[in-house]
Amino acid sequence: MRIVMKFGGTSVADAERIRHVAALVVSASAEHNVVPVVSAMDQVTEMLLDLADAAASGNSMQAEALLKAVRDKHLAAAYALGAQQAVTALLERLEGLVRGVLALEELTPRARDAIVAFGERLSCAMLAHVLGARAMDGREAGIVTDDHFGEADPLMDLSMYQVGQSLGPLLDAGERVVVTGFVAANQHGVTSTLGRGGSDYTATILGAALRADEIWIYSDVDGLMTADPRSVPDARLLARLSFAEAVEMGKFGAKSMHPRALEPAAAHGVPVRMRSTFKPEHPGTLISDKRAEGGAGAEGGRVSIVRCVPMLKNLAMVNIGGAAMIGRPGSASEVFAALAGQRVNVHMICQSVSEAGISLVVGGGQLDRAKGALEKTLRGVGSPRTIEVVPNVCVVAAVGSGMRGTRGVAARIFTSLARAGVNVIAIAQGSSEMSISIVVEASAGPLAVRAIHDEFSLGS
Amino acid sequence: MQVTLVGFGVVGRALAGQLRDQHALLERLTGGAVVLAGVCDTRGCAVAPRGLDIDALLAHKATGQSVGSFSSSTGGEGAIARGFDAGFGPAQFVAAQGRLAGDAGPRVVVESGPSDLKHPAPAVENLLAAMRSGLHAVSVNKAPLAVAMAALLEAAAHNRVQLRYSGTVGAGTPVLALARQAALGDRVLGVRAIINGTTNFILHRMATQDEAFDAALAEAVRLGYAEADPSNDIDGVDTAMKLVILANHLHDLRDGGHRPSYADARVQGIRGLSLALIREARARGKTIKLLGSIDVDGGLKVEPTEVDAGGPMDTPRNVNAVCLSLERCGEVTLVGRGAGGPETATAIVRDLVDVARVHRGG
Repeated sequence: MRIVMKFGGTSVADAERIRHVAALVVSASAEHNVVPVVSAMDQVTEMLLDLADAAASGNSMQAEALLKAVRDKHLAAAYALGAQQAVTALLERLEGLVRGVLALEELTPRARDAIVAFGERLSCAMLAHVLGARAMDGREAGIVTDDHFGEADPLMDLSMYQVGQSLGPLLDAGERVVVTGFVAANQHGVTSTLGRGGSDYTATILGAALRADEIWIYSDVDGLMTADPRSVPDARLLARLSFAEAVEMGKFGAKSMHPRALEPAAAHGVPVRMRSTFKPEHPGTLISDKRAEGGAGAEGGRVSIVRCVPMLKNLAMVNIGGAAMIGRPGSASEVFAALAGQRVNVHMICQSVSEAGISLVVGGGQLDRAKGALEKTLRGVGSPRTIEVVPNVCVVAAVGSGMRGTRGVAARIFTSLARAGVNVIAIAQGSSEMSISIVVEASAGPLAVRAIHDEFSLGS
Repeated sequence: MQVTLVGFGVVGRALAGQLRDQHALLERLTGGAVVLAGVCDTRGCAVAPRGLDIDALLAHKATGQSVGSFSSSTGGEGAIARGFDAGFGPAQFVAAQGRLAGDAGPRVVVESGPSDLKHPAPAVENLLAAMRSGLHAVSVNKAPLAVAMAALLEAAAHNRVQLRYSGTVGAGTPVLALARQAALGDRVLGVRAIINGTTNFILHRMATQDEAFDAALAEAVRLGYAEADPSNDIDGVDTAMKLVILANHLHDLRDGGHRPSYADARVQGIRGLSLALIREARARGKTIKLLGSIDVDGGLKVEPTEVDAGGPMDTPRNVNAVCLSLERCGEVTLVGRGAGGPETATAIVRDLVDVARVHRGG
């Protein structure tokens, strides 16, 4: 089989773990044709972003300190691995860039990408050294993006072709490579980064382009769970999940993949396996189009409608009310334009058919900004409206493709919540019918998750 | 309009001649003078922002030399020439054409190299280099489109330039445009196409002269319908490349899925086809043609197939036919002459006029 193996930051956090990852690659290579993709060492991307900002603001002391921290961290690992030569050369180039930014006190998104990309370049160089493989960045691998530095979108068809051209022949010839995650380039070869989805996105693009049999995403967890085990002690690992379910989950959980990163794999039908670096023998969670035996949502012989119960914490709710909104076109547009203007990300929206109010869920940290923006805009137009906030809420969701077309799912969810004494503040269901989101008070979140989890017998 | 020509073989030289002969007409159709601003062959390139002296250039090429040694004294105003080396080849030449001084009209690169399916990457790179540099692209080379059509179309959209390729299928008859026009507003269920003149000549001759394959092939070579090495034609490769391009051109009018590429096509040619099969088909009122077909699921196939003798698909000699099965309008068959050097050059001119028209409009 041809396998793309992607290792996250914690998997390459130090020399010992890089050796461990190398051993995983070597052992997989005995059976498979392997393409390893690697993230920056844990914390390094953040350090590089801080470094770039410090340099841009002309804070040379802080920049020097951060540069030293980056250098020390990598040299420590590099000496242990015997990879100091490759790492030193990269560090010198990084230093040159930082000095340039310091001198100019200016940082374009393009320059920031050039600096941040060194995180992956450095980890890639070390893993490649241990493996005796060729280190390649995303540009050399053929991933082409647009010019939106910092959050670049791949030109997908072009990338598919170029990756096939650049990596295909190397792999066919049996050459070993390691590819940087997250890093790509625009069509003129200028370094860009993929933003959301990061290295996972690199892995799925390569997997799709190289017609891989599977894409293995390694992290520090065993796979995807039916719920957060901190809230639900008997939460179970999900052996299988459909792409649609994984995309739905990805909107909730940090432990899942970003929906954007799942796209290339789903479009080209390449299964994704989420697994743990620390338990390499464990098969993890397989995300694919193939339905588990026994029909939709089968899990270890059981068929379940709801597959998992993720929870999104640290949220706040904003209720906008007023009779003036009823039947008046443009009310909703004013609300969302005001929020977008302040770059507030809206997680969930509810409006009843009476049109007397709109309820929104936003990140807790964005509540003040959201409230301010709404007050300024809506009070200004003269029509009497109320803006009420409910801080400290969370969203609990029931996710499963088996919910589509199944009657009585909502009834079971709300009965279970009532039985547990959980007060439901707001509800939303998209027309995909693959998830129902419920807003509850923050303190009731874990209780709500357990109630739904138990109702659908998701535990072990 | 500045035209840069990559490849200076039969088609490229025919185009240069046509640009010279139709100068006034082209100026009227495109809204400005059309000049040959650059040309390259495999060994070198010649450039003149205000236009190369086409007569001198053709005379120079006729002596067997590369355009890279074209004399600057006779080449036209500001003409320069150079040979290619490891660091400067066709793709670098094309990219440099994007930085050429000149009028504000559209700039177009024409890829007219041979359709080499074994090594399509250099031609893909020429087209990408053109579009990256903000130049419109015209390709009569089928190979880059057959292997990377989706990528090339994406590059065109991303760079807001046009990619045209009407000369790749049918050439003398604008099969792609006509097929698309016929299918607009309808839904394409399937396509069957005779789009290779050489094999059709051979099969027609076998059927009408009762000649064996080898004899018919020899006659095709003698008359110039087939090349000295006819493999690309008789093994179905040329038909398959054209079929992939046709399928992509109709992609949004079919129930598509992915844009297909050459790797998705099942290809069987007519090499060594037995005369007995054709005789036997004839006895049943049928004849055998090399058909490229797109089925309702988007599957691409090239293989010798029986069609009704005397029906619309029973075309003589090198005449092409494309039969569209449409959901509402039923079967629509387009019949017309295929390609040769002059026909293909004319197709390029057609594309150049279209580029100018859309460029002005947008």
